[in-house]
Amino acid sequence: MTAKMPSEEGKQNDASSEQNENDGGETSDLLGEDEDDEKQEEELSENAEALKEELAKIVVHPPTQEQLPKEIFDPAEFPDSYKENLPKENLVLQYSENFRRQYVHLYRDRKPLFLNPVNECGVEPRRLLSPTTILKRQKGNCFEYSTLLCSLLAGAGYDAYVVSGYATREVCLADESREICPLLKTKEEKMEEERKKEMKKYTVKPPKDLRSKFILKQEARAKSEKESEIAKRRQEEEEKQAELEKPPPDPLHGLRIHSWVLVLPGKREVPEGFFIEPFTGLSHPLDYESYLGIESIWSHANYWVNMQDCSEGVKGMNYDLGDCTQWEFMFNTDKPLLQIPEAEDDIIEGLEDEDGSNKGLRLMTEDTIFSEMDIQEELEKQMDMPPTWVEPIRLSRKDFEMRCPQGKKVKLYKRAKLEKFAHYLMRDGLICKLSVYEDRELTALIMVREYYAHREDKLQTKVYNHRTGIVVEYFNEGRMRCLKEHQFKASNPGPENERTMHFFDEARVDGLVSRIETPTEMTEHYKDREDFLYYKHVEFGKRPKKFGPQEGFGSNNPRPILKMVQKFHRNRSKLANEDIAELVFMCSEDKIQITYHTEDKRIASSTREYIKPHNWDEKGATLTFSGDMHQTFQVDPTSQQNKQVELYQMLLELLKAEDKCREQVRESEMEVVEILKDRTREESASELDISVYDTERNEKAKKHRRELERRQLEEKMRKQEMEVDYLAPFLAQLGEPEKLTRQQAYQLREDCLGDLKQRLIDKANLIQARFEKETQELQKKQAWYQQNQVSMQKNDEEEYLNYCSEAMFRIHILELRLNRHKENAPHKYMMLEQTLRQDPRLAEFF
Amino acid sequence: MSRLYDTVEPSVIDEEMLQKAVEDQGPKEEAGKIAKVEGIDFADVKSLRLDFKNILKIDNLWEFSCLTKLQLDNNIIEKIEGLDTLVNLVWLDLSFNNIEMIEGLDKLTRLEDLTLYNNRISKIENMDTMTNLQVFSIGNNDLKDLENLVYLRRFKKLKTLNLNGNPFCSQPEYRMYVIAFLSNVEFLDYRLIDQQSKDAAYEKYQIPIEEMLHNEKQGELKKEDEEKKAKQLELHRNAYVEGMDGPSLFDMMYSDDAEGNRLKEMPGVDELILTFKEKFVAICYQMFEFGLQENEKRQEEVAQFWECVEEAKLENKEMGMKTIADFMVYKKKAFQELGQISDSTLLDTKVKEFNTQVSELWDKLMGLELQIVDQLEEVIKDYERNMADMVSTFLENIQGFLSQCRDLENIHHERMMELSIVTLEKVIKNELDEEISEDLRMLFVDKDTIINAVSSSHDSHLLKIDNKEDDIVTRINNWLKTMIEQIHEEQEIVRNRRRVSEINNLIDHLRDEIDGLEIQQGAQY
Repeated sequence: MTAKMPSEEGKQNDASSEQNENDGGETSDLLGEDEDDEKQEEELSENAEALKEELAKIVVHPPTQEQLPKEIFDPAEFPDSYKENLPKENLVLQYSENFRRQYVHLYRDRKPLFLNPVNECGVEPRRLLSPTTILKRQKGNCFEYSTLLCSLLAGAGYDAYVVSGYATREVCLADESREICPLLKTKEEKMEEERKKEMKKYTVKPPKDLRSKFILKQEARAKSEKESEIAKRRQEEEEKQAELEKPPPDPLHGLRIHSWVLVLPGKREVPEGFFIEPFTGLSHPLDYESYLGIESIWSHANYWVNMQDCSEGVKGMNYDLGDCTQWEFMFNTDKPLLQIPEAEDDIIEGLEDEDGSNKGLRLMTEDTIFSEMDIQEELEKQMDMPPTWVEPIRLSRKDFEMRCPQGKKVKLYKRAKLEKFAHYLMRDGLICKLSVYEDRELTALIMVREYYAHREDKLQTKVYNHRTGIVVEYFNEGRMRCLKEHQFKASNPGPENERTMHFFDEARVDGLVSRIETPTEMTEHYKDREDFLYYKHVEFGKRPKKFGPQEGFGSNNPRPILKMVQKFHRNRSKLANEDIAELVFMCSEDKIQITYHTEDKRIASSTREYIKPHNWDEKGATLTFSGDMHQTFQVDPTSQQNKQVELYQMLLELLKAEDKCREQVRESEMEVVEILKDRTREESASELDISVYDTERNEKAKKHRRELERRQLEEKMRKQEMEVDYLAPFLAQLGEPEKLTRQQAYQLREDCLGDLKQRLIDKANLIQARFEKETQELQKKQAWYQQNQVSMQKNDEEEYLNYCSEAMFRIHILELRLNRHKENAPHKYMMLEQTLRQDPRLAEFF
Repeated sequence: MSRLYDTVEPSVIDEEMLQKAVEDQGPKEEAGKIAKVEGIDFADVKSLRLDFKNILKIDNLWEFSCLTKLQLDNNIIEKIEGLDTLVNLVWLDLSFNNIEMIEGLDKLTRLEDLTLYNNRISKIENMDTMTNLQVFSIGNNDLKDLENLVYLRRFKKLKTLNLNGNPFCSQPEYRMYVIAFLSNVEFLDYRLIDQQSKDAAYEKYQIPIEEMLHNEKQGELKKEDEEKKAKQLELHRNAYVEGMDGPSLFDMMYSDDAEGNRLKEMPGVDELILTFKEKFVAICYQMFEFGLQENEKRQEEVAQFWECVEEAKLENKEMGMKTIADFMVYKKKAFQELGQISDSTLLDTKVKEFNTQVSELWDKLMGLELQIVDQLEEVIKDYERNMADMVSTFLENIQGFLSQCRDLENIHHERMMELSIVTLEKVIKNELDEEISEDLRMLFVDKDTIINAVSSSHDSHLLKIDNKEDDIVTRINNWLKTMIEQIHEEQEIVRNRRRVSEINNLIDHLRDEIDGLEIQQGAQY
């Protein structure tokens, strides 16, 4: 990221007060000793006598900031642009000096401007370090912070400015201990307006209220009185509390210098302007009451001095920088001026005549010899600012991820402490820890909230409530069994205790939303099930005492189930009278109770009750049924009575349903045990989950990459060996000079080409010689054959013929080779020449 | 195939056979025992199997109104009959019989699975109502004509088809033909049809299929269009302005008007009628627009009324249900307590308390009911008044429009009169330029005749307009009357009776319950 920054620099320093180093952005002390002294002087002039006594009491301390070790920068660390001024920059400096002198001249009672401070390569302590240095050191004062932030914002296209002004002590010291921690701020719950019953044309009238109106009135009055009293008391208490927590009065209120960032609307779809506090990074509205005044603002392009009244803080300030009655600029600006230049120039001039002090600031001084118009023109010519001398702002990925020095940071808020950690810094994945206390001294802990990231068990947040002893863990999606939230007592983490689990019901096959347990009860809520079940409640009895060694919470000795309740939503495909709404298995009484849904036109619902046959739990037993085992109430007395056989079949089904329900309860119990086992295992081995794309941290990927790199290197080496350097022998002849001279290069080329030529000719000669030799031999043989043809035997003749054909073949081949060589040789020659031309060592000469 | 009649005596479906079948196929074991003691109603039976019974005639099955599955295979049935009452049938098996014709299945609209395997059927027909058919087996029959299969295209859900063993199966193009023309079918003759053969079949019969699809599409569009038109007409009828967007009323005026039609030939009448018609139709159209607007308003009013009534009822119902639920919680607790009390005096007080609570419940529920009765009564009264107002304004306006029509007619009549007098004079003087027909000439014999003719035409026109008015007035008044009556009947009387009897039933039940408990307790001591 590159960003421009205000590039005023120079030897002159106009910073009005000394800035303490802000260590890691935590504290900043802008205590101005000068102001202190001035104040005392004023008092002195008023009453000299009283002062004498006062003086006796005053113990003068030497300024504390002197004790701070001065940081000295090594100029060698920085590029030239940090150390030298370009001519253009010097010009800008001249202008700023001119501006300053006019300013001082015209506004004698105003504070000196913060113009051209020195950078890290200067000598004086009053300085403004460059953003790159701040980023590297990770500490600085508010001006440096603002400059860095502003540079980044301007680089990203925002209309951002550094503001130099005054702020309260708390802001200057980055003391947030009176602010509520942003993590604790509950989002303003939109109070859902109670939907007023819409009065439609035919809405029925409410029933007549037969109560006495007088009594009602009396009651209402008594009630409102009581309420107002309570409210009053509460308010008083709150006020008292607020009084207690109010910061002690600040003797330097309004004198503390601070710097922050202003972002104006217009660019990057910013709808309205706002401030950014550099120490906290929080944005504040333009009427933020902790900012007490603005002296001047500047950006990479210009410098504006505030001409507006700041007696009431920054409220109602106008940020139309083109309005020169409110913002005095240093350089002519391309921002649209409020006045239309030609039409109103005369008026301005007229104004100047009358009230020269106001308008004369436009760079008109005694020693300016140009007329105003000339200056204007010249300025327009020279308006472009010199390029920034600061290196591009770069933030390494590692630094970005570490965020704070050492990756850790502690912040104090009102009754809360916030600790932040960089990702992957803590072995258990902790990234943030918020402790909430009862008192401002941070001694009585109420609650601790821990935020985690990248954990394999998907733990996201963990909340310990130290008052109730309840722990709540929140998980992200992706766990086995889809756990979303787990709430339990820290003192009783085992199964069959008080706990609440919430699940990601969309991911679960059974649609379980939550499971709430107490030692004797378990309630489950479901959603979107095909069987319309939405609620299940189980009551457990005490375990029958068993002799012998104590067994764990296994399936060996489950708790007896006393009662199971299931509730169902309405299934519209069934008749209401046959659609079960509530099914109660009274296991301890061997009863089954059914309540059906209510028909749309009715208010009562049918019920049914079965008494289970005595041998219901015997396997394979024939279950008997008689009429007195069943009772029913039908809302519609005229409805047909069910047949006995139907009732019997219904009973069988209910018994099956009971079995199934019981099984599910046991499964739920087992699941709880399993989840708890998983949790203990996960807690003990908290490995962090590393993304496959995270090449920095993923050890496996790292190893793989290194291996690949090694292999690539080897490959490269091998290739290099393969490529023979044909210049090597000739270079050796020249004594392997570091750099070739022109002559040497020519020589080298000539040698190289000559050598190739020689070799090509040699080769051609060689082939020619062979060819000739072969031909000669053949001729000799032929002659011999001519002579001895008569006396030759058949064998010899055959031999001769064979030889002839072979020789002819060889000659033919040689002929072909010779021809081809002749054809190729020029090509080879050309190719070498080409390669030589392109050879890096020779290229510069050809 | 079929067995000969003389070898085995054909049997008749009678009480005995049915009883036996039902018992054999009914519940087993303990349930069966209970069922036997109690007896099984044929109306409760869901499925029935009557196979290998040598049945000749399907009969006496009317009692099985709930039957969803019926098996009559392997009999000697010759005619499908007597199944009209079994409207719930989903599964029907008539395989291995002697059926020659598909018939008598019109009422079985829910049928999904029909088996007519191994019969003597030669034509697929009379199945139009079985829109849910999914499985159809008609193998081993006497089907010869492949084109008859196109009939099966109407079954959009038909997935499985068995045609194996029919005469046309020996034709080489049989399979291709079936696949091409019955593209919905996935299983043919026990085998899955793969995409390849589907493509091949389509290619082969592309032209006839495209043509058929086109025709079907056209038919569908036409049907849709007709439906749309019918809907539109229905809407206009409900607005009581049907036909008012055209010259239908005007045409009607001249439909029964012999004189008028005859007079049309009179020279100069053409123009008169043209302007008259134009104005008349314009008024009719205004009426039409107004009618539609009013209808919308009325519908909106009706909807609003019902919305509010339903809301009120729902609220009342919820209050009632909550009251009952609260009481049930109390009841549960009370019964639990009662079960543990052994002291008889304490028991008595508890029972008394329970009874007072029950009475209180009754009071509350009845109070709620009274409340809604009052509320509804008031609202209905309001509604009735508003509706009556609406209807009367509608009628006033309509009558206004119609009297405009009448005025037009009167003006037209006067002009006709003038024209006819003029023409009469011309005819008498024999100055008429054009030839006129003999019919018309008959009217111009003297002044009275022509005046009478014109007047009677006028009267007939007025009569038509009056008729129209009467029709609209009666219809809308009827509508209002029936609606209001229905609301009174349904919302006030029937609803109230049902709710009161429901409350009483509940209270009686609660009292019975406590009495029963008391008796039990009393018996213990």
